[in-house]
Amino acid sequence: MATPGFAGKILLVDLTKNEIVRLDTEKYEIYGGGHGISTALFWEFCVVPGDWDLQDAFHPRNMVSLMTGPIVGTGVPFGARTSVSGLSPQCYPIQWFSHSNFGGVFGTMMKMAGWDGVAVIGKADKPVYINIEDDKVTIEDATALWGLTTWLTQEEIWKRTGIRYGQQWVDLDGRYTLQRPAIVTMGPAGENLTRVASLVHGGGSGAGQGGFGGVFGSKNLKAVAVVGTSSLKIADPKGLRDAREWWDSIWNRGGGGGFGGFGGGASVSSACAGCGTSRKCHNRTRVFGQDSDDCAESTFFSQTRQNAPSIPSDANARGMDLCQQYGINAMETCFQGPMSFNTSHNPDFPIQPEIPAYAALGWYMKKMHDMGVIGPGTEYDMAPLNMKQFATNQFMEIYAMAIATRHGIGDLLAEGTARFAEKLGRTEDFKTLCRLTMWGFMDHWSMPGVEWAYGNLMDSRDINNHDSSSMGRPGGGFGGGGGGKTWTCEEFVKTMAKRTPPYNDPFWFDYSWQGKQAYETGIYSKSKAQFTAWHQHYWNYFKESVGFCDWGYMSLFSASHPEGYGHTPEAEPRFLNAVMGNNQTFEDGIHIGWRTWTLKRAIFVMQGRHRNMENFTGYYYRPGASYCGFSASKPIYDGSKWDWQDCKELYFTEEGVNQWKTHFYEIEGWNTDTGYPTRKTLEDLKMKHVADYLQSKNKLGAA
Amino acid sequence: MAGEKKTVPEKADKKTFSRRYFVVGGGTALAGGALAAVAPRAAEAAKKQDQYPLSSHYLVCDSKNCAGCYSCMTACSLAHEGEINFSLSRVQVHRAVLDEYPFDIQINICRQCPTPLCVENCPTGANHISAENGNVRMIDEEKCIGCKTCIKSCPFIPYRPIWDHRKKKATKCDLCADTPFYNKEGGPGKNQACVEVCPASALKVVTELPDQTDLNGYDRDLQPPRKTMPKFSFPKMAPKGAPKAAPKS
Repeated sequence: MATPGFAGKILLVDLTKNEIVRLDTEKYEIYGGGHGISTALFWEFCVVPGDWDLQDAFHPRNMVSLMTGPIVGTGVPFGARTSVSGLSPQCYPIQWFSHSNFGGVFGTMMKMAGWDGVAVIGKADKPVYINIEDDKVTIEDATALWGLTTWLTQEEIWKRTGIRYGQQWVDLDGRYTLQRPAIVTMGPAGENLTRVASLVHGGGSGAGQGGFGGVFGSKNLKAVAVVGTSSLKIADPKGLRDAREWWDSIWNRGGGGGFGGFGGGASVSSACAGCGTSRKCHNRTRVFGQDSDDCAESTFFSQTRQNAPSIPSDANARGMDLCQQYGINAMETCFQGPMSFNTSHNPDFPIQPEIPAYAALGWYMKKMHDMGVIGPGTEYDMAPLNMKQFATNQFMEIYAMAIATRHGIGDLLAEGTARFAEKLGRTEDFKTLCRLTMWGFMDHWSMPGVEWAYGNLMDSRDINNHDSSSMGRPGGGFGGGGGGKTWTCEEFVKTMAKRTPPYNDPFWFDYSWQGKQAYETGIYSKSKAQFTAWHQHYWNYFKESVGFCDWGYMSLFSASHPEGYGHTPEAEPRFLNAVMGNNQTFEDGIHIGWRTWTLKRAIFVMQGRHRNMENFTGYYYRPGASYCGFSASKPIYDGSKWDWQDCKELYFTEEGVNQWKTHFYEIEGWNTDTGYPTRKTLEDLKMKHVADYLQSKNKLGAA
Repeated sequence: MAGEKKTVPEKADKKTFSRRYFVVGGGTALAGGALAAVAPRAAEAAKKQDQYPLSSHYLVCDSKNCAGCYSCMTACSLAHEGEINFSLSRVQVHRAVLDEYPFDIQINICRQCPTPLCVENCPTGANHISAENGNVRMIDEEKCIGCKTCIKSCPFIPYRPIWDHRKKKATKCDLCADTPFYNKEGGPGKNQACVEVCPASALKVVTELPDQTDLNGYDRDLQPPRKTMPKFSFPKMAPKGAPKAAPKS
């Protein structure tokens, strides 16, 4: 019997065998839900059989999972995410086990259909989509859907049922629903096995990073559609309503993060299920980009000054729709992202006069063209791109089309920025121009908030946790807010420490990066390693497994609260206990996150991960590493007092990172020489079977 | 009690819906596509309307400002049933995310009809007008035999009574009069789970009978007055040569 909050069963579809299997969720509950359960399934069905080398994300043996968490479908604000997991074709140089997630109503509808998620292995012999109507699961022919955009695919699937949606109650064997199926699909970019293909649900709820659209393509899987009429059990229905009222009354309408919303006051929000905060991540009223996520895609064609002084006023809006319809990962393929930063104060810095927030594929391609590496007179023809038309809508449309269809130079670009640079023989650019994380994802505010950077290093992608970037001066980051009160640095760090149990260590928030203080309490200290580990455990459970959205969680600090408190660590267990009724504490959640994270580590190890590989790309060790810092003013402890300092010039040293790594492995319970988990750690986390397996493969960390 | 015809309790509010009001509005109502199906039943209903006291309260919505978060549906099902099930929600938000605004969201709510055909046609009296609850039209679960007559009688598209497939009985919006899983007192003039949870102020309970003659009666602008930019005007300049104002002391 599954715990309330879980639907109780997981759908496993083997497309090679045309087989549909039902798994009981109960067995996997100790992994928390979402990404945690997907990790456990991957271990069980992909690693343990030992019949492939875990290297190729497009291999039929890869498993792609769409998994919800216990909070999804319960109406809890910020609680509608569906986690996507599997080997990622975007990861570089090894296609690590990775993840992404998306919102909308898909996860909620999955729960309404009585499933906690769906995991897909194998490869169909022709295009198919999976259709779920409560317990009835079928593998449908998608030949006629092949080649369609993500939007047309959804429209066509809806048309196939012959229902007048919105006017006609749909009869599912005596159970009725007025809802149309929720569909997640890939577009042409996925069909053509690009490494920059997203999964799109609705207008623009997308799982972009990771390239899981391509994994769908490799399986001949066009889409998953789900509709349901089942009931989701809630442990304490009255308590759940009360919890929402409590949350609303204190951190009213997104106040936990101090978000103003991207959409502006006059637009009408298009919310994910259960959310309805004031963030307006999506909007209903726009001509272009309707229901599209206002993230990287909304600035898809923005340009740095040196690339183009201006772009057409509607370019970004049109670009948003292009990305969603082709199913392209806008973040990986864009030209600048939402902003750029001035670099002219440092004439030695190689990117002048502005550095794009996301030095992504479009930007790097333009740079390579301007430097004469690609284009006329080189090995690489730019066709079908006409660089003379750069900064026009026509160029943008051809650029997106070329990538999605692997046409002309699009074939090279479709490999993603890291492999594009490698193909050009320019991996040296990883030290300067090509600002990627260690695993081929572009940098994304990861510095000077070093816990984000460290997270990238230890995980398999840009961890994309905006909560970290809020850990700067109130008013400076995403989550700081203003609130009218001036917070001294010491007040700030002590408040943050109060909200991070069980350690409550103010030095977690010390960003001293020079001299001995960096090693004692700053960015190379045990405190920072502890914070990074805690942060990884936090999001592996509460966000990627439970289903809380990154835009609302975690929230340690809120200037609008009289004590400066964000809703972490109170909101998470309060909502979860109302839903699940299992009296879990915040620390219990952190522990589950540690378990999931360590199991993921075991998968990494089986893929070849070793301490020796975990080194930052070159630019992290050079001045300029933090030039894209969103919140550069950080707390610094000088040995006697706290003060705010501009950390724009912060960068790492190899020696310091090495010390930090040793602290980190110790804290995680991993061997400090190899980075492999030890038997004691795995057994303490109730994963003896993982220890036994690693030992059998000589991959168990020595005690 | 099974077989008992529904009756209007004596203490019921005598505020009624006039025959003329209904008939006059009929032509306009037919102009609305969703109301076209009403026509065959309208004449019959008009004959009987004076029998029914009006509900004291009505749920109205603002589909143009709805965020489509389904919080109302979640809250409704939770307060009434103690579990979450979109199919059991008495408020039904339908989203067509790829359609153009404002046709991308449609909110279907029970209108607490002046002439409730669901009540009229119920063969057991389960679907009744509750005098204790402000004349809200509600279904007594004990009396419901699951014949779906109320569902078939509802003149609106889609129909507003809800089929509870677990119990094989019909339910409908009672403005939260019967909400065993709600910590607040629900019902007309009290609280409604859907209204209080809506983050977009897209649901509201009103006491005046909404206009029955057009589609904006129940679906209307519920937003507080928009903030507007203060009018800006250039300060008046003194004509050249005019003496300067004396400085303030």
